[in-house]
Amino acid sequence: MNIPPGWAWLGQALLIIAGIILVIWLCRLGERRGTAYLADRPAYLRPLALLGGVLALLSALLPWVTFELNDGVYPELSTLQFFDEPWGVTGFRGFILLLGLASIVLAFVPIPAKRRVYRAIGLALFGITLFNTGFIIYYGGGIGAATAADGVVAFGGLVGLVAAAVVWFAHRSGPLEQVPLWNSKVSRAVAYPVLLLAFIALLLVVAMLLRAGTTADGDSRAYAGPIFLSLLFFISGVILALNGLGFTKWLTDVSDKHRLWSVVVLLGCSIALPFTEAGTDYWMTIAVNIGVYAATAIGLNIVVGLAGLLDLGYIAFLGIGAYVAANFSEASAAAFGIKLPFLAAAIVAAVVAGVFGAIVGSPTLRVRGDYLAIVTLAFGEIFRKAAQNDIGGLTGGANAIPDIPPISAFGQSFSAPLEIGGVKLPSGVLYYILVVVLVAVVMLVFANLKDSRIGRAWIAIREDEDAARAMGIKTGQAKILAFLIGATLAGLAGAVFAHKTSTVAYDSFQFIESVTLLAAVILGGMASIPGAVLGSALLIVLPEKLRDFQDLRLFLFGLALVLIMRFRPQGLIPDRHRRAELADEGVVEAPSQEHNVADSTPGGGAAVTR
Amino acid sequence: MTGTPVLAARDVSMVFGGLTALSEVNLTLDEGQILGLIGPNGAGKTTFFNCLTGLYTPTRGTVTLRGTRLPSDPAAVTVAGVARTFQNIRLFPSMTALENVVVGRHSRMKQGPLASLFHGPAYRRGEQAARDRSLELLEFVGLGRVHDELSRNLPYGDQRRLEIARALATDPSVLLLDEPTAGMNPQETEATRQLIFAIRETGVAVVVIEHDTKFIFSLCDHVSVLVQGKLLVEGTPDVVRGDPRVIEAYLGKPPDEVEAEVRHYADETADHTQVIELDGGSEGDKR
Repeated sequence: MNIPPGWAWLGQALLIIAGIILVIWLCRLGERRGTAYLADRPAYLRPLALLGGVLALLSALLPWVTFELNDGVYPELSTLQFFDEPWGVTGFRGFILLLGLASIVLAFVPIPAKRRVYRAIGLALFGITLFNTGFIIYYGGGIGAATAADGVVAFGGLVGLVAAAVVWFAHRSGPLEQVPLWNSKVSRAVAYPVLLLAFIALLLVVAMLLRAGTTADGDSRAYAGPIFLSLLFFISGVILALNGLGFTKWLTDVSDKHRLWSVVVLLGCSIALPFTEAGTDYWMTIAVNIGVYAATAIGLNIVVGLAGLLDLGYIAFLGIGAYVAANFSEASAAAFGIKLPFLAAAIVAAVVAGVFGAIVGSPTLRVRGDYLAIVTLAFGEIFRKAAQNDIGGLTGGANAIPDIPPISAFGQSFSAPLEIGGVKLPSGVLYYILVVVLVAVVMLVFANLKDSRIGRAWIAIREDEDAARAMGIKTGQAKILAFLIGATLAGLAGAVFAHKTSTVAYDSFQFIESVTLLAAVILGGMASIPGAVLGSALLIVLPEKLRDFQDLRLFLFGLALVLIMRFRPQGLIPDRHRRAELADEGVVEAPSQEHNVADSTPGGGAAVTR
Repeated sequence: MTGTPVLAARDVSMVFGGLTALSEVNLTLDEGQILGLIGPNGAGKTTFFNCLTGLYTPTRGTVTLRGTRLPSDPAAVTVAGVARTFQNIRLFPSMTALENVVVGRHSRMKQGPLASLFHGPAYRRGEQAARDRSLELLEFVGLGRVHDELSRNLPYGDQRRLEIARALATDPSVLLLDEPTAGMNPQETEATRQLIFAIRETGVAVVVIEHDTKFIFSLCDHVSVLVQGKLLVEGTPDVVRGDPRVIEAYLGKPPDEVEAEVRHYADETADHTQVIELDGGSEGDKR
């Protein structure tokens, strides 16, 4: 049978997806019957862990691809290398090797929460092997690429998948343990260096992730997608394991107790990013985009995360801020001939956006829930259409407002490269620092408001509006204030956005952008600041890094979002409260709120007694 | 007990479409009084509460607090000094017990948006004061030790008491309790009775809606009986308990009539009962 080539990979992809669904379904089936597969057979843990570890080592040493793919040799010596260079494995095969070794070693080491660690190892192995195998099959044009073709065999991927499954089942040899709690009351002499090391490690990991899959010059190389994803899966696995061991909880507790130091170190680390391997023009631009998005997402988090008001047109406030800043920038298309200094322009932009926020917020007094979402969605569209039609001559219409001059201070243009004491820094580094400051300010506003009278009022409205009113909270005022402050922050971010992109066009503010912002908030964790930053970073970096997958890019992106929401509905870094609300593990079921009131209808109760 | 009236409802009527939920209900609450409001299901007790707290605007009639007419806005009513609890517990589930009570302090805090934003010394003093007062209230209702628990994780009885603490945090002069002992066992009910007496000692007048007549008669100084939206009888517990109309309308019909009704009901539902039993049997077999 002759299948058109386009359909061949589709069929194979469907086959793989069906396989994944089958495995998940089998696992869930076991759970539903009250007996997880291999549950309460702790004796199985060690042999399975050992077997899985050995299989993983084997898979790392086996060849993965039977022939050379279109874009050249598959990375990390994975083509036709059979024990050629056993200790020369790097990249994704190196990760598999490390995970396999960890699985074998940990089988003999007494550690707490062992099953949680094996779950992390299993998931990381699964992610790495599945993605690389899938990519080889997809790119190689058939299952043969990852199994056997023309007399050449390459079973690395399949052995890896089996290894991942075996390690995964090792953790199901019993119920998951409680995450151990470590004493977080440590002296400064311990806390300060630990926090410093942790944040530096975070910085290096971020830089490594950003640079994964690029050449020394910073250009994207072939197979950037799988390289990046392999690293991402490996790092996620390590973090998940540390999480299971209670290390991340301990670290956040320690940093909570030494907040000032944490903030200082974090700021220092953020500003140090341009000095790492991620310090290229390209990544500075991406980092500025992330920062603008993160600041906007934190603003949206006030409206959605704290006050619980769904806003589907939020990008409009970023747009308003951007247009205001553009009009006061002396660009040739600007409506006003005046050029305000950037700081003044940013403040004007924030105020104007805030006023519009209050206007949009006012219908919230009358509508709730879905209806509010529709009102805000309509506002977003009104804004976009108005901008497209150049209403009031303020937006340049379809021509946009181009050539907005970059910000400059002390004779130094923000978009030019910078040289300090012989060290050449990439262009855009000043924008990057400006954005770090912007995000820091927005975070401070969010954190202070959240921990205050008005912040509590917002959360109360989110939880139960009628009860909030019964507590004397003027809900109308509080909601409008939430919209106003959220919009102000977005307007501020918009001012930076206008200068950085140098062109403000109406089609930058489409509905999909609002949805992406909302996704960043929900993905990271509602009402959580680090969550919003991580969510924005993922939503911007993932599409950049997944360019390799072409048509599948958005599909994979969507799949990732669905999976995250399925397995972590509270978001990646949930807020303390939301964590308690939505976490599915280790939480004692709340007592039922519905208690039967004694039946007082005459006859009803008596019939039973007879 | 006599005194100046704190809360007075005059001829309050509430009509929903064609349904008259309340018609010309009068009620006077004196200083330091515990007033019980009883009546069969659907008598309009909660509707009346909602009229008192501004959730509903009465179709006719007025509600006054110390002679001043109450606005029809729940937040403003709370600020004026009338606090309430809800029939179905309505706490803020993902806040801790302490945070729930601190929200109750909202209208008594001076903190404006700027202080909220900049966290100056005034902010810190205000927060500390609110926290201290809230902890004090939690101790008062007996929840001091669980102040850091999420309210959704508290046992049922504690949730009810937390709701009372939260209402007290608004510094009310009148506290309205909507079925505070629904679903409680005798010990918890007794504890609630003692708590309400203690609240009265602090100078807060209390109105209680309740089904449990024994509870009401042992708690209240004054009892009003609401039947089908009308005030049927009011007076001291002894007067109300002895009134034949109350016995008929609320406590049930004379024993022989009830007997007849029950027999009739049992005949009518005999077949149905059979089916339920069969179902129960097969359910047991499965296990």
